[in-house]
Amino acid sequence: MIKFKHIRSRIAFTFLTVVVAIQLAGLIPLKYALVKHANTLAEDQIDVGQRVFVSLLQHNTQSLKQATQVLAADFAFREAVATNDAETIESALESYQGRIRAQIAFYISNDENLVVGTSDAKAILKSLDARQAIIQSNAGKLQFDIVDDKPYQLITVPVKAPETIGWIVMGFAVDSQLTSQIKQLTHLDVTFVQKTNAKDWQLVSSTADKTLSNLLLKTVADLYRQRLTLHSVDLNDQTYHLKIRALHETPDEALLVVLQGSVAPFTQDLNMLFKVMLVLTLIGVVIFAVLIWYVSRKTTEPIAELVKDADKIAMGDYETEIQVSSTDEVGYLAKAMNSMREAVLQRSLRIQRLAFNDELTGLSNRLAFNQGVHQAISTHADSQQKLSVIVINIHRFKPINQTLGRDFGDDLLRHVGQVLKQYVLSEQDMVARLDADEFAVLLQHTDQAKATRYADKIQQVFEQPVSVQGQAIDVRTGIGIALYPDHGVDEEALLNHAETALQESRAKKSPWIVYNTALEIDQSETLTLISDLKQAIQHDQLLLYIQPKIDITTRRAVGGEALIRWVHPEKGMIFPDQFIPFAEQTGVISDITNWMLLRACQVLADFQKQGLRLSLAVNLSTRDLNNMQLPAQIAHLLSSHGLEAKALKLEITEGSLMQDPERAELVVKKLAAMGLHLAIDDFGTGYSSLAYLRQLPVQELKIDRSFVMFMDKNSGDASIVKSTIDLAHNLGLMVVAEGIENEYVLNQLARLGCNEGQGYFIGKPMPEKDFSIWLQRWEGQNEIEIDIGDDLSFAINPLEDNQQPSDPFKLDNI
Amino acid sequence: MAWTTFQRRCFVALLLALTCHGIMAADVTVMVTDAGGKPVTDAVVAFYDSKTPAVNANAAGKIIQKNKMFNPKVTVVQTGTSINFPNEDTVRHHVYSFSPAKKFELKLYSGVPTNPVPFDQAGVVTLGCNIHDSMVGYIYVVDTPFFAKTDDKGKAILKLNDGQYTYQAWLPGQNKPAAEQKTTIEGVTEVKIPIP
Repeated sequence: MIKFKHIRSRIAFTFLTVVVAIQLAGLIPLKYALVKHANTLAEDQIDVGQRVFVSLLQHNTQSLKQATQVLAADFAFREAVATNDAETIESALESYQGRIRAQIAFYISNDENLVVGTSDAKAILKSLDARQAIIQSNAGKLQFDIVDDKPYQLITVPVKAPETIGWIVMGFAVDSQLTSQIKQLTHLDVTFVQKTNAKDWQLVSSTADKTLSNLLLKTVADLYRQRLTLHSVDLNDQTYHLKIRALHETPDEALLVVLQGSVAPFTQDLNMLFKVMLVLTLIGVVIFAVLIWYVSRKTTEPIAELVKDADKIAMGDYETEIQVSSTDEVGYLAKAMNSMREAVLQRSLRIQRLAFNDELTGLSNRLAFNQGVHQAISTHADSQQKLSVIVINIHRFKPINQTLGRDFGDDLLRHVGQVLKQYVLSEQDMVARLDADEFAVLLQHTDQAKATRYADKIQQVFEQPVSVQGQAIDVRTGIGIALYPDHGVDEEALLNHAETALQESRAKKSPWIVYNTALEIDQSETLTLISDLKQAIQHDQLLLYIQPKIDITTRRAVGGEALIRWVHPEKGMIFPDQFIPFAEQTGVISDITNWMLLRACQVLADFQKQGLRLSLAVNLSTRDLNNMQLPAQIAHLLSSHGLEAKALKLEITEGSLMQDPERAELVVKKLAAMGLHLAIDDFGTGYSSLAYLRQLPVQELKIDRSFVMFMDKNSGDASIVKSTIDLAHNLGLMVVAEGIENEYVLNQLARLGCNEGQGYFIGKPMPEKDFSIWLQRWEGQNEIEIDIGDDLSFAINPLEDNQQPSDPFKLDNI
Repeated sequence: MAWTTFQRRCFVALLLALTCHGIMAADVTVMVTDAGGKPVTDAVVAFYDSKTPAVNANAAGKIIQKNKMFNPKVTVVQTGTSINFPNEDTVRHHVYSFSPAKKFELKLYSGVPTNPVPFDQAGVVTLGCNIHDSMVGYIYVVDTPFFAKTDDKGKAILKLNDGQYTYQAWLPGQNKPAAEQKTTIEGVTEVKIPIP
């Protein structure tokens, strides 16, 4: 099968082939029939011609015979014959010969004794073969003979008196007169040819032209030899039908008449007919071809148009509508393509929206933000202007979401998005929601001052409670700022750095942090630390530190808070805020908690051995609070170490409770039922509802050190502490203050009725082995009143970077 | 022993008497057959002796033209016989003969011609009618009174005296005798003539 590039060609080819085949199927038999018909006509003509020829000869013979019979019946002639009057007979023959235009005339008596002829009758008779046979068998019949090398038609008539006494023979020459007479009647060319003793085949007379008749001579001689009587022969580029008839035959002699009909006159007309048919066929084929071309073009043109349209769609042009011009199948196809195009357009718009928009807030998403920043950078590259990327995070969004409902959380996010948008500086600025509670703002043409001013504004806005669903809620934000080109030249770097700054802002509880490279080092380190952490537990790289805790009223040591330190083989001492958040995220925290509990129990067991009635507090993370096995594990630990439940205190933050409140409550209640002492850590920084706290079997509140540290200088803090203490006492809870850094504060707290306290003034976190030394010193000091300055120096000294990670085991789980 | 004519005659007569009971003139049946042995009708036989005169001028005969035919078709007469040709047809006839034995012509006539035609020369005369080509008749003129024409059984009866004869036989329509033979009739009643 032939392969076609176009349907059009295939249709045209197929139909044209069929048309041509049909026409050929008609024309070829037609041609054959025409030729056959022409030949049949020619043959018929020859046949008719022959019959005419025969009857002409018979008629001629008959009339000649009758004419001769007149003489034979003449009484006087008969009398002359009967009386052997040769002279009279001869003269009678002579006059009669002239009358009927015979060339030969003679009388021959029955007994052949008398032969009288007009010419040299005896010589003629000699040359006649078997004259008796002639006379006897052919009396009155058609008879040809060759006399003196000349052909004659002989008429023989008996002379009766009344019996046959002799014969009159009349001879008529075969000449042009006869041939032209035959031709006139038959419309055929007539040729007489003869062969004699003396001469080979020769032409006697012919109506055909000389060349043709000479050609004919040879053919006829051949045919005669083969005894063929009817034959078609090609002479001079024409087909002739020949009918050969022997008029006279002896072994040596022959006289033939050839009737010769040309096929040409018949084929002429029929060829004309055929040519007309051929031309009509060609015209038909051409018309058909044009029609097919036109129709197939009409059919395939719209398809080609549709293909173009489909190509356009494939190229991504969904906007241009496909023109539907017809109502046929192509029209349906176009309609179908149109609806497909429409559907694809809608889908692509939707995908685009989904890809670049945040469904919830209607803001851009991370992808769109990245693109926006990228675009802004490329426009800013020339203008030498700066731009800033600000990442904002809502603190403790998850608990809000969980306690107040997802709807509420969603509304809050929408509200925050609105606020962020409200304060952008120009229309080109962009606000996006990157994550659950993380937003990003792109500010164009801004330097650091402008960016921080924006951050301040946001900060200020959220210092006021936000009203969502008619409910006022405090929103705290962390803000990280990165500037182009100072902190990064591409969107990824800027965003990463802004997020780094945000984490720093959260860690340090600063309203906002502008990125600097120092943050980066910290950041990268934590990553490697995570992978080392698991090994650390196994290889005993963790250390238990204890920060002492005293009874504020009696100033006696009551125990301490168990803290963790990691002595990294390469990096040395690592503080928990560098790895605990990641341990939380990766789940390693459970192992750490277990390790802590085990170690704490060991230490408590040790205390017990020494007769010390001290307690240790261990911090629990969110994961721990969700671990239903935890109470059983602790029970096992306590019993295996022979400890009373009250020796072990557990500290939980408000945030850790909020992650999965129901589950946490279940665990907490179990723990409390075991007689364990539970404390709320970092009280005041979260948003716990007191009503909720009241439901929990908690015995203790730990006031966050941020309130305690500066309460000697800040009366606001002092009153917060005071009211917290009052509130806790009212609820029947014990109050523990963190971050006591001087005696004044200690005394203040004592006055406010705070139950217990911890801080640098009392004792910084220390290795467990140092705790007994501290204990001895503290107890002794309290008895002999050791000077405070020494204590202070001890308290202020400990950390090289002079920072204050006094409460490092903070499980800020958000 | 030398027999005298008389003696010889007496002997013959005696023989005849012994054999034919002495009958002098008797009917002789002639039987003509062709080469195949079949009897020939209308064959003409003539017996010649040397004693009987050849010509009989008083003899007469007639050949009637009826139904455009000569009746009889074959006629045998002694030389000298006159034959009349009465025309009994309603059409006229033109009877002629170009035969050398007798050339004559009875130009268109009807009824009985006034004069009969005398045939005084022996030979075969072929009769024709110039009007009716189909009419053919034959007259055999013989120089003897002993002649006959065979019937449809090829038989003819002649009254012949005993004696020596020469007979001739013609097949009908033939100019020349088909058979010619000498024979002796003595108490013989039948002569067979086979035509070769």
